[in-house]
Amino acid sequence: MNVKKYFVRALHRLQKGPGYTYKELLVWYCDNTNTHGPKRIIKEGPKKKVIWFFLTLLFASLVFWQWGILINTYLSYNVTSSLSIGFKTMKFPAVTVCNANPFKYSEVKHLLKELDKLIEAALERILQPTHGDTITPLLLNGSDNASEGLDLALWNQIPLVLIDEHDKDNPVIVEIFETNRTAPGNGTSPGNGTALENGISPGNVTAPGNGTAAGNETAPGNGTTAAPPAPSNTTSEEKKYKLAVKLCSHQGSNNCTYRNFTSAAQAVTEWYILQSTSILSKVPLQERIRMGYQAEDMILACLYGAEPCNYKNFTQIYHPDHGNCYIFNWGMDKEALNSSNPGAEFGLKLILDISQQDYIPYLSSAAGARLMLHQQKSFPFLKDQGIYAMAGTETSIGVLVDELERMGYPYSDCTMNGSDVPVKNLYSEYNTSYSIQACLRSCFQNHMAEICGCGHYMFPLPEGVTYCNNDDNPGWAYCYSSLRSSIRQRQICIDSCKETCNDTQYKMTISMADWPSEASEDWIFHILSYERDMSTNVTLDRNGIIKLNIYFQEYNYRTISESAATTIVWLLSSLGGQFGFWMGGSVLCLIEFGEIIIDSLWITVINIIGWCKGLKQKRAQARYPDAPPTVSELVEAHTNLGFQHEEAGAVPSHGTARGEALPPEPGTPPPNYDSLRVRPLDALGPDSDAETE
Amino acid sequence: MAPGKKITARIKRTLPVRGPQAPTLSELMRWYCLNTNTHGCRRIVVSRGRLRRFIWILLTLSAVGLILWQCAELLLNYYSASVSVTVQFQKLPFPAVTICNINPYKYSSMKDYLSELDKETKKALETFYGFSEGKSKVRRSAGDWNETESHFSRQIPLLKFEDFSKTATDLRSGRKRKIEGSVFHKDSSIVNSGDSNDIIGFQLCDANNSSECALYTFSSGVNAIQEWYKLHYMNIMAQIPLETKEELSYSADDLLLTCFFDGLSCDKRHFTRFHHPLHGNCYTFNSGENGTILSTSTGGSEYGLQVVLYIDEADYNPFLVTSTGAKIIVHDQDEYPFIEDIGTEIETAAATSIGMHFTRSRKLSKPYSDCTETGADIPVENLYNKSYSLQICLHSCFQKAMVESCGCAQYTQPLPAGAEYCNYKKNPNWMYCYYRLHEKFVKEQLGCQQICKDACSFKEWALTTSIAQWPSVVSEDWMLRVLSWDKGQKINKLNKTDLANLMVFYKDLNERFISENPTNTLVILLSNFGGQLGLWMSCSVVCVIEIVEVFFIDSLSIVMRRQWQKAKKWWNDRKREGSGKPPQVGDVERQGHDNPVCIDEDLPTFNTALRLPLPQESHLPRTPPPNYSTLRLETAFTEQLPDTLEAGQH
Repeated sequence: MNVKKYFVRALHRLQKGPGYTYKELLVWYCDNTNTHGPKRIIKEGPKKKVIWFFLTLLFASLVFWQWGILINTYLSYNVTSSLSIGFKTMKFPAVTVCNANPFKYSEVKHLLKELDKLIEAALERILQPTHGDTITPLLLNGSDNASEGLDLALWNQIPLVLIDEHDKDNPVIVEIFETNRTAPGNGTSPGNGTALENGISPGNVTAPGNGTAAGNETAPGNGTTAAPPAPSNTTSEEKKYKLAVKLCSHQGSNNCTYRNFTSAAQAVTEWYILQSTSILSKVPLQERIRMGYQAEDMILACLYGAEPCNYKNFTQIYHPDHGNCYIFNWGMDKEALNSSNPGAEFGLKLILDISQQDYIPYLSSAAGARLMLHQQKSFPFLKDQGIYAMAGTETSIGVLVDELERMGYPYSDCTMNGSDVPVKNLYSEYNTSYSIQACLRSCFQNHMAEICGCGHYMFPLPEGVTYCNNDDNPGWAYCYSSLRSSIRQRQICIDSCKETCNDTQYKMTISMADWPSEASEDWIFHILSYERDMSTNVTLDRNGIIKLNIYFQEYNYRTISESAATTIVWLLSSLGGQFGFWMGGSVLCLIEFGEIIIDSLWITVINIIGWCKGLKQKRAQARYPDAPPTVSELVEAHTNLGFQHEEAGAVPSHGTARGEALPPEPGTPPPNYDSLRVRPLDALGPDSDAETE
Repeated sequence: MAPGKKITARIKRTLPVRGPQAPTLSELMRWYCLNTNTHGCRRIVVSRGRLRRFIWILLTLSAVGLILWQCAELLLNYYSASVSVTVQFQKLPFPAVTICNINPYKYSSMKDYLSELDKETKKALETFYGFSEGKSKVRRSAGDWNETESHFSRQIPLLKFEDFSKTATDLRSGRKRKIEGSVFHKDSSIVNSGDSNDIIGFQLCDANNSSECALYTFSSGVNAIQEWYKLHYMNIMAQIPLETKEELSYSADDLLLTCFFDGLSCDKRHFTRFHHPLHGNCYTFNSGENGTILSTSTGGSEYGLQVVLYIDEADYNPFLVTSTGAKIIVHDQDEYPFIEDIGTEIETAAATSIGMHFTRSRKLSKPYSDCTETGADIPVENLYNKSYSLQICLHSCFQKAMVESCGCAQYTQPLPAGAEYCNYKKNPNWMYCYYRLHEKFVKEQLGCQQICKDACSFKEWALTTSIAQWPSVVSEDWMLRVLSWDKGQKINKLNKTDLANLMVFYKDLNERFISENPTNTLVILLSNFGGQLGLWMSCSVVCVIEIVEVFFIDSLSIVMRRQWQKAKKWWNDRKREGSGKPPQVGDVERQGHDNPVCIDEDLPTFNTALRLPLPQESHLPRTPPPNYSTLRLETAFTEQLPDTLEAGQH
């Protein structure tokens, strides 16, 4: 019942309206508002009034303009960075050590034997001293004794060829080993996979249009001495021959490219890597681990701070580039070690043996240990971030941890843990955290699996895909090579991978000294040999031994952390500042203003209703040719529609109704403007309206 | 009435010029305090009790003080910058990599120019240290010694000091002589000069005035001989035209054995020759000369630049350079490579792997910091054909000073227009002049360090260098053979100490961009002002205008009016005294116009503005207005404060 009463009353009040005209409303607002300008407008003389009116307008527009700028600034999500430098107890970085050479040659010899024979024979052909300046790599067929025992099938999967450039415009391709096929791959490929992006690449050796020319020239049947190609002008400094790797989409096909190299050394290395990759990819992982360097052979001594450690403190992982790698303090199964003192005395000291004699000669020409500092639980990407340590030296590495902590979306486009990156992280099989390198490699491998149908040996495998090898995927090298040099593929990967928000880099200050010194060499080698092999003979030498010191510098961290430059608090205080500065206003002023707008809308609605009603009445009156209503009546009708309406709703005369209604009304009394004061209707009516309008 | 008077009267009527409503200053102040929007003033007026009022005055004043202080602080800190670091992962432009052999020119081809000098150097070694270089690569010519006039030593005599007395043995004559002139120590020989009694040095004399000499001594003969050699060497080189020098130095084919970039082969066409006065021919990879700049879209050692350099150790100049290897510098395409200053040395028989990390920085120029965007505002002409850097500015500045005071240009820096390199034939005095000038430059007396500013933006490649043995023991054999084939030397195999392997690559493709941004903009400054004003006094610009209005315009007009009235009165009194007439109507009129108090015009209040009749009775319940009794006491202004008063009072 009460509720109904309340609603009725509310309805009445709605119909009644705020009870004053626009002008009253405005004047009341100006007089009572807390913003500073409007008060002046009504309080001053007529000229000042005008000035103040324009000033107020100006200030109001200034406020809105500045608010626009502020909000825009806020929405641009700027950040400020703060930098801190100092020393604190920090987690010692994970240290990955590998040998630059992935496998012991003695262990993999049986696999690579054929390959080595092939390359040795090929080099023999290429490097043979010839008469004059022109060398003609001689070609032989299978009957020649030198080529006996060569696995030419293996060679022909990815052959090396010589490109004869005596005639610049018409380079001739010379096969190194004559095979049974007389016309070796009438290579008429456009293959300029060799071109550098800018296209100024030297001799985009595309096989000459009539590739048979090459074939003819190099295949004089049983000729042990092929006719030397055109006796050239011996004076030119230009090198006449280039080595190239011939890559075909599948064996015997015409779709071939020649990946040519300005340097034979590079060509040989590249060829060897392709071939050995194919061979090794067929070897199961366990076997590969066995063929690599074992921890006890490689890590001879270890000291962390004052505490001794040994190879058992290292976690072994198989790294495709470098074989067995050993990670100290990876934090996978144990809590990461802290280091709370700067200086070499409190860091990690290692003595490694890389046994250079056991390197695979053609695979890696640089000798040393590969090492890398990285975060706990992250995968070491040695090719990117790793450094070398030279044999026979002591390498000291002072570490400064350079951290960058960024805010995520919307401040910058980075990812917290990689879960929002559309690339499947293949390195998650190592249980490692997301990193941009992992993403890029996964992206490449996924593409490779998609396009070539097999995975590259250097990267982890996606599900259900096997590693590429020459037997199962004869065209993989061609496919891989074209994919690798495809700029589009790289761009796709760059675009789809995001960097991590927290980026930690280890800045290293590297210094080197000869180690062991000549005086101490003898006893050090003796002791280390004894400890490793239990032999009294020296089994180590300068070419294999490496000492490493890794320690925190005096300042061990430099952290750049981001914080939002514009927070909501900043925005509010700036908005408030602006409003306050120009007009002395606050949120309450805005509410006041809103109230006024509601009131005026209310008045408008009531006026419109009244006007409509008046129109109807007029029409009704027009039918009866009565005397027209007086002006005062009309005005009353306009101004006091609310009251009329109430009358229509069969409510007793408003004067009394109001008098009765007021006292029990709960809540705040209605605003007591003078105009609202109840007085006889006629007294208020036309007279006041006439003056206000 | 006169027509003029009529017009003024009309103007007065239509445009009533009225002063402030308050008749006196104190009333104006009171009116202001009661009506102002700022908070403190009102309290002063409405407070009761002297103590309370005093406290309010104090508080208001301190609030004003605080506002002024804080706003001044805000203004002073307006030009401050905040640093932001952004990291972007993207395809990065590969920097230019300039590679030089440490030895500038092939010694074998320089024989024609240097044989005399070498002979003399050897002679000096023999006289001072008593040994003769037996198995020298240079033809021995001790016999010629006596015949050829040793003009090098005559120009700059090498001297050996017996002890630190002023006697010295001259290399040429072997006789002792007394040394006059000031002594400069190139090394810190002062420290151990006491126990070392064979100090060696050379004397530079002013050619025009031979009594003015400067003596340069070195604690070690190694430095002295090298420095002495270098002086003569520069003399000789300055006379050789550039084309010849380029021919004397290494060609791209000589230096570069193999090249590999981004997994693809490259060759000498990717390198641009750049002649460095001290390092001979250097080769810049990716110099951007043909308009394209290579970029890397994959990090890691395989995708960077890999070159094998041929360092022909046998062809080194024994006196000029004493170390073997190459020097490289990673720089931006439009930066000048200051190889001699910031180059990284590359060892032979080793693979040097250089991982790069790219950082771009940007400072705000004036008025935030004193740096220059393009160098155009620096009064030093840029002699290098590259974009501005501090180093370029300093070198150019020195070269300019050199040309001005010595009349010729120093050999290691580019030539300014119209100048030529110093050589002993044309400028016999240049060495002395150069040393003097250099001394001044180092002591910052030339003003170069003051004129030159650092550049606002710069790119930096942080390098992580590590070295591995190369070629490895087992691969040495085939590697050297194949490389020899590459080089075209079929018979004699290369020596591994003549080779250096270099890898330059991006460690990751993250570009760090460190930039300064202005902390404050005008909008924020105004916001802060507003915050301060609002916090302490709830003031705004409106208040400031009010203050200006009341305290300056109104007060001034009141004072003026007072004075005017006084003057008027005094004038009228005098007149009346003179004529004895009663005051005229015009006075009243004027008063009425000037003094609003006399006119019965209220400030427009809400009621008056509407011309609403005041209510007969006010029985309706309404919130009582604040009942400050103080207000009631103010009789003079009650009419003007309708909003603060009970309406019923009327």
